[in-house]
Amino acid sequence: MKKTVCLSLFACASLFANADTNATQVQLQKQKVAIEKLQTQLDMLSQKSQGTLNTSASFSQNAYLPDIALILNMSAVGRDVNNTAYSKMAIPGFIDKGDAELPFNKNRGFNLNYAEVAMHSSVDPYFDAFAMFHLHPNAFEIGEAYIQTTSLPYALRIKAGKFKSDFGRINSKHQHAWHFDDQPIIYKALFGPDGISDAGIQLQWVAPTDTYIMAGIEAMQGTNERSFGDTEENNLYVGYVKSSIDVGDDLSILGGVSLAHGKNTTTNATNVYGADLTMRDQLGAYSSLIWQSEYLQRNKDIGTTTNKQAGLYSELLYQYNNNYSGGVRYDAITKNDVDLSAYNGVNTSNLDKYTAMLEYKPFPMSRLRLSYSYDRTKVIAGERKDINTVMLSLNIAAGAHGAHDY
Amino acid sequence: MKKIALLTVLLTTLAFARVNVDTTYSTLGAVAKKIGGDNVKVVVLGSPKYDPHFIVPKPSLLSKLRRADLLIMNGGGLELGWLPPLLRNANNPKIRNGAKGFLDMSHFVHMIDVPTSVSRAFGDVHAQGNPHYSTDPHVVLIMAKAIEKKLAQIDPSHETAYKTNLANFTKEWQAYLTKYDANMQMCKTKKVVQYHELFNYFLREYNIKSYGTIEPLPGIAPSSRHTLALIQTMRENGVKTILQDVYHERKTAKFIAAKTGARVAIIPHDLGADGSKTLQEFYNKIANRICK
Repeated sequence: MKKTVCLSLFACASLFANADTNATQVQLQKQKVAIEKLQTQLDMLSQKSQGTLNTSASFSQNAYLPDIALILNMSAVGRDVNNTAYSKMAIPGFIDKGDAELPFNKNRGFNLNYAEVAMHSSVDPYFDAFAMFHLHPNAFEIGEAYIQTTSLPYALRIKAGKFKSDFGRINSKHQHAWHFDDQPIIYKALFGPDGISDAGIQLQWVAPTDTYIMAGIEAMQGTNERSFGDTEENNLYVGYVKSSIDVGDDLSILGGVSLAHGKNTTTNATNVYGADLTMRDQLGAYSSLIWQSEYLQRNKDIGTTTNKQAGLYSELLYQYNNNYSGGVRYDAITKNDVDLSAYNGVNTSNLDKYTAMLEYKPFPMSRLRLSYSYDRTKVIAGERKDINTVMLSLNIAAGAHGAHDY
Repeated sequence: MKKIALLTVLLTTLAFARVNVDTTYSTLGAVAKKIGGDNVKVVVLGSPKYDPHFIVPKPSLLSKLRRADLLIMNGGGLELGWLPPLLRNANNPKIRNGAKGFLDMSHFVHMIDVPTSVSRAFGDVHAQGNPHYSTDPHVVLIMAKAIEKKLAQIDPSHETAYKTNLANFTKEWQAYLTKYDANMQMCKTKKVVQYHELFNYFLREYNIKSYGTIEPLPGIAPSSRHTLALIQTMRENGVKTILQDVYHERKTAKFIAAKTGARVAIIPHDLGADGSKTLQEFYNKIANRICK
């Protein structure tokens, strides 16, 4: 019916037109085709709206799925010490022979260090939840799993579950977020590869000041056997204050002091003191210079005496652009007042390490890193053995992986 | 007597208490100032000197967010790389996602370039569409309305002031737009290429066609193969203008300009990126430099 009306309208128009009849006919033909096309389209649309009711959506919860990311870390390693010898290394005064946990880059040749599954989601208006499932080739580990409040007044926030302590600067960061593939020696020596990571509860507060000041306290189980280890009850308490100032638009300085107080037996206390300083100068939109240093001292009461040990690392990073960056790090044990008689005849002074790296990021989610380290902190088979390591590592974060903290 | 004095002091401080408004970028901040007037204190978090996708989440921004009563963000995924950890660590329930003091401006803007399929294989694409709507001066009125509504909601005691400010600003901006649009009618530039798809909203508003981007995919650095293909496209279509932003490297644009005889125009993507101090200066700069 519609078609007929349209057609007759066009026919009338053409009757009154003075133009060439042929041209009008051609035009008429064109219009016919156009009308037919529109009619087919209309038919299709009306069919769609009648036919397919999507009933599967009635109970769909897809919109509530958490952010899920897969983090993969692998490496190719060249080292001038064979694997057996390397796994039996010791750091005098800190790690006894064969006692080191080496979850990352242990073997010469290829290593798949881990596959991690990170999940993050809002639980309700009051809680966020986060979990990091850490999968080694032969082990499943809950790296972190905690809830965090979002709505407490007075700028307070509570975290509960298993989490990485905010002690110091690098402790709370995951391996894939470190500037170098190796953990700083002093962290490895005092806490092992996971740092202070434990079941517990954390309270943090941000001060209402122009200058950033944050203070936090944590109560944890204290399962870390390198420094603590008495788990008869929750025996580890951590406290810290961090502050930051900007100098101009581009230079920001972040500093902090931390204390971890725990027990290494039911009666003997361990205190670890930390101080950190990070300076970041933004040189351009994608270019920056970062200088980050930390100093840690442990006073460990072993009944007869108190062992005092300390060390530091200092690293300088230059980000050239979004794709390329490079950096150097110096690690040193600065104090080692413990009984070293087991190392009689071995030079146990001047324990330090030098590392350099070059990084290429084709995209923010992937990273290739070439590094060289000269490690002078190890004793292997009763002899001081300096270790040279060349490593190429690949890290990717696929999926919905949130931005990192500063 | 003392009580009365105390009460008066308290009330006056309350009366003079200004609403702390944080905005992620500077154009949003300027509009918030226009609507809020003396009743708000505006803090802009992201410096316009830098790439808005990669603002450094400095701890000093935490103390700003900690005291905010209202956070106005651009949205559309532009802040995804830096704002979430800051919000998480600022411990301010007033501005958390879903709270009264949280305003995502992208919910009010009709987003263009919404991708039909999303994968990181296509680079850093934003699932919700192109988030760079601030370059279109017509969007300013949408921002102003949304901000007025939000301010009246969180600070009802100054509702009339906000309403008056909006009315005045709307009048002023409409007059400005009439002149602006008339000037743009005379713009001779009709074909451009750009570094990143920063100016699509502006280009669409004024019928200027973009023939491609210097980066092969969003967020991916230029490659020689892509650059050569772009030069070819520019020659075939007679494109004589390259829109370069203030924060990307300029070498590639200069190279392309040398090969095609095109002109490199440095276009600010946000107020203050190129020295502009007011909204009008900012938009004038965009028009003048594209059309020159």
